Amino acid sequence: MTTKNEPGKTYLMQGNEAIVRGALEGGVHFASSYPGSPSSQVLGMLGHIAEDQGFRAEWSTNETTALQSCMGASFANGRAICIVKQNGLLFHGDTIHCGALGGVKGGLVIISSDDPDSHSSTNEFDSRHMAVSANIPMLEPASVQETKDMIPYAFELSEELEQMVLIRVTTRICHGRGSVTLGEIPEKRPFTPIGLWDRMVGINWLHSFLLEKLERAREAFEVSPFNHYMGKEDADKLIITGGTGMKYVQEALEEFGQEGEVGVLSLGCLWPLPEKLILKHLAKASKVLVVEEVDPFLEEHISAIAGKARLNVEINGRADLIPPIGELNPEVVFKAVGEFLGEKPKCCGEGCPAIEGVNIPARELTFCAGCPHRASFFILKQALRMEGHKGVVMGDIGCYTMAGQRAGQYGYHFMSCMGSGISAAEGLGQLTNYGFDQPVVSLCGDSTFFHSVVPGLINAKMNEANILHIVLDNSATAMTGFQPHPGTGQTAMGYETDKVSITALCESLGCRVWRADPFDVENTKNLICELIGMKGLKVLILEQPCATLAAKTREKKKVWVDTDICRGSNCGCDGYCSRVWGCPGNIWDFEKNCAAIDEVVCVGCGACASICPSGAIKVEGGDE
Amino acid sequence: MYSILELERKVVETGICTNCGACQGMCPYWKSCEGRTFVDYDCDRKEGRCKYFCPRMPADLDALRDRFFGKDGCEIIPEIGPFRALYLTRAADPEIRKNAQHGGTMTALVEFALQEGFIDAAVLSKAEGTLDPVGCLVTDPAEVRECGGSSFQIPPTLAVLNEALAEGEYKQIGVVGTPCKALAVAKMKAKPFEENDNNADNIGMVFGLFCGWGLDWKGLAALGDADHVDILPSKFHRMDMDDRQVDLDEVLPLVRNACKYCDDMTAEFADLSVGGARSAEGWDVDKGWNQLIVRSAKGQQLVDLAREKGVLEFREFGDEEAEAAAMNKLMRASASKREKALKL
Repeated sequence: MTTKNEPGKTYLMQGNEAIVRGALEGGVHFASSYPGSPSSQVLGMLGHIAEDQGFRAEWSTNETTALQSCMGASFANGRAICIVKQNGLLFHGDTIHCGALGGVKGGLVIISSDDPDSHSSTNEFDSRHMAVSANIPMLEPASVQETKDMIPYAFELSEELEQMVLIRVTTRICHGRGSVTLGEIPEKRPFTPIGLWDRMVGINWLHSFLLEKLERAREAFEVSPFNHYMGKEDADKLIITGGTGMKYVQEALEEFGQEGEVGVLSLGCLWPLPEKLILKHLAKASKVLVVEEVDPFLEEHISAIAGKARLNVEINGRADLIPPIGELNPEVVFKAVGEFLGEKPKCCGEGCPAIEGVNIPARELTFCAGCPHRASFFILKQALRMEGHKGVVMGDIGCYTMAGQRAGQYGYHFMSCMGSGISAAEGLGQLTNYGFDQPVVSLCGDSTFFHSVVPGLINAKMNEANILHIVLDNSATAMTGFQPHPGTGQTAMGYETDKVSITALCESLGCRVWRADPFDVENTKNLICELIGMKGLKVLILEQPCATLAAKTREKKKVWVDTDICRGSNCGCDGYCSRVWGCPGNIWDFEKNCAAIDEVVCVGCGACASICPSGAIKVEGGDE
Repeated sequence: MYSILELERKVVETGICTNCGACQGMCPYWKSCEGRTFVDYDCDRKEGRCKYFCPRMPADLDALRDRFFGKDGCEIIPEIGPFRALYLTRAADPEIRKNAQHGGTMTALVEFALQEGFIDAAVLSKAEGTLDPVGCLVTDPAEVRECGGSSFQIPPTLAVLNEALAEGEYKQIGVVGTPCKALAVAKMKAKPFEENDNNADNIGMVFGLFCGWGLDWKGLAALGDADHVDILPSKFHRMDMDDRQVDLDEVLPLVRNACKYCDDMTAEFADLSVGGARSAEGWDVDKGWNQLIVRSAKGQQLVDLAREKGVLEFREFGDEEAEAAAMNKLMRASASKREKALKL
């Protein structure tokens, strides 16, 4: 991403880079984030350039602290940007509502990246409802260029209204690429001292001001350059889109040769909706198709607008022509537009990939080669089986969420949002005092521990929980790409800071803490069995660095299979390494009908050697 | 159906698994913990040794008996199986008898078999008093004594046998075990998979233990620890744990379900079988003595040599009538276990 001040020049940029450039062109003073796909990379990039560009970028322990930090920076008239994913925005809940009531001084922009189809999430929640609930203005770009352009605009709007502004983006914006023509990077504006009687207080008597700000935003949105109209001026058939919907619709209309015939209203300003603009086009149409990502947000609000204006118009969308869930794609939009127009595409007939979709073999999510989580869940399952499979495992959010599949031996019974595992376990574990007869185990990773498990742990301690809480400490926020967290001793801007010790923190709460190595399969298994049998709150920290991180620093051991010893698929093994252990490095040699190691994928951890029933997997060299 | 699932459903989940260990020690899938056999990961083989070795899976017992005792020249008695001779014996060495449940015959015989080369290793069970019984492989005759006494539980001893066979170092391994284990070993020797027989020919002799039932591990541990445990003849209705006398009513609920369905009291598939003496002369005379059924020619050879070398002491029945009475008592007891198992 370029930091050069060369207005008018065009670069190819990823959407996440465009967010960074937009922040820069918006004169940002402060940026904070908790990583979450699809916008994980943004703050990392901001961190790289922050020193040079004279602003502060930081990773926060969670999204709430990130937004609250931004509010602090805004108080001194600093421009602040907070980057989160949809769950992060929901985690903002209380803060965003109280913050909106109190308003802002310096521009405060929240970027919330949604993940339709939940490619890298456990859900496909739609961020847009939050803007309605919190009464704040919301924008959504239709292209990478707009993504960049919207941020300086949002800063201006935020300051004009003294209100935070939400920009909703989606995976296809964040991870897509497009041409971006640069704007100017302004000089950093000086801060404004906070006077004796300056206040930033979220209190209910500001409620009417909150709504007033929203009406002012609506006026601005009626004339915003981020709303586009294309096609015939008094079109009978109107397609209304938000965000990336526009590109899909343009492509579909081109295919049907209907670009000029159908009206397309592409909205960049999503809340409050520019009602006059919408009504102007709606009034002329008899049939409307709404194309948007995930929920029927525009569809329902536009139906309400049409209803209030007593228009006789048919409104289609997620309720009928587009599936009610899942991401938009050419196949879905082509079908919907075709049905809406009552036409078939002319490109081709049956078997057209744009219509039929492409049949790609499904691949399961799995842990990386050498991942310590594989060992942790392998051990946990064995320990629970030893105990007569009665144990209940409460999972959490991180790489280890994939343990719900084969990679982690279908390793947990419960999984909800970040930080929920330990508290759900606490509640369940309390029932053991009232006749519930199953041991309860909860899990979290190190980054999740800092994010939101700590309050749950304190709750568990105060209420004398009867649970075993396991921290899968791989010294990384691995799922989203190794962003620093309080336990890593690193910061977004590259300098070092004191590490926060999970062990010391737990011990300071009065928890009994054990530490073990998941690669030490037998001893760790016995320890888990022992801890499960013990009453009260127990914390076990399973320490082993993330394999992908370790592979960068550790000398790789050579791992190979002695084919003379390997029992292959015979009784006594049955492909235990590749079939049960399941590391992508453990593969099958179909010619020899025995196990093999994929040398390209293998990171050389050697863990599989300890589970091979015949001792056929050999490990040579490397650091011990 | 997968072999492992079939065994899990038919034997483990139905509660008739005795935890003998026959399915264990060959693969990473079958394991045992505190007397309970379980699978932690599924194997997807349709045919596995586990299913065929399990003493609780159906098998043609007549064919097995015929294969291992048919040409051996022994009599087959319906109540107690292959039979050559019945003796009342005890270990000549009083040191052995001190730790024995009855007369220490088994300990003396296994030690002697190792010394004389009848076997080159022995798979035995060992416990700390009654706690944590485990299977162990013994090659030094002196170590056999540490495995004397009874823990009244069924540790998965045959897992140790399977591991030792796989290693292939010992060619004449002796196995001491309860009737379920003796049957499992016969199934192993029958080699259901010729090409993957786990060196079953290296099983030397099988030393059977009379068995009425095994107890639940945790339940027995809750009754407390003891160095010496004995269940007295039924008229006493009690179990002695060192100096403590425990009412049998406290013990019987701990009897494992699997054992209630067992119809073999005398370990019919062993070369010889040893239990507490139950002669017509009564408990006062029998206390400290064993009864020993010799079944195979090899078993007879060993016992004859033990007599010759003075390793075992023999108590004569007195007259033929007394011997017939002892035989009758044994057959009645064994038949009674069969009846109970079948009635359930």
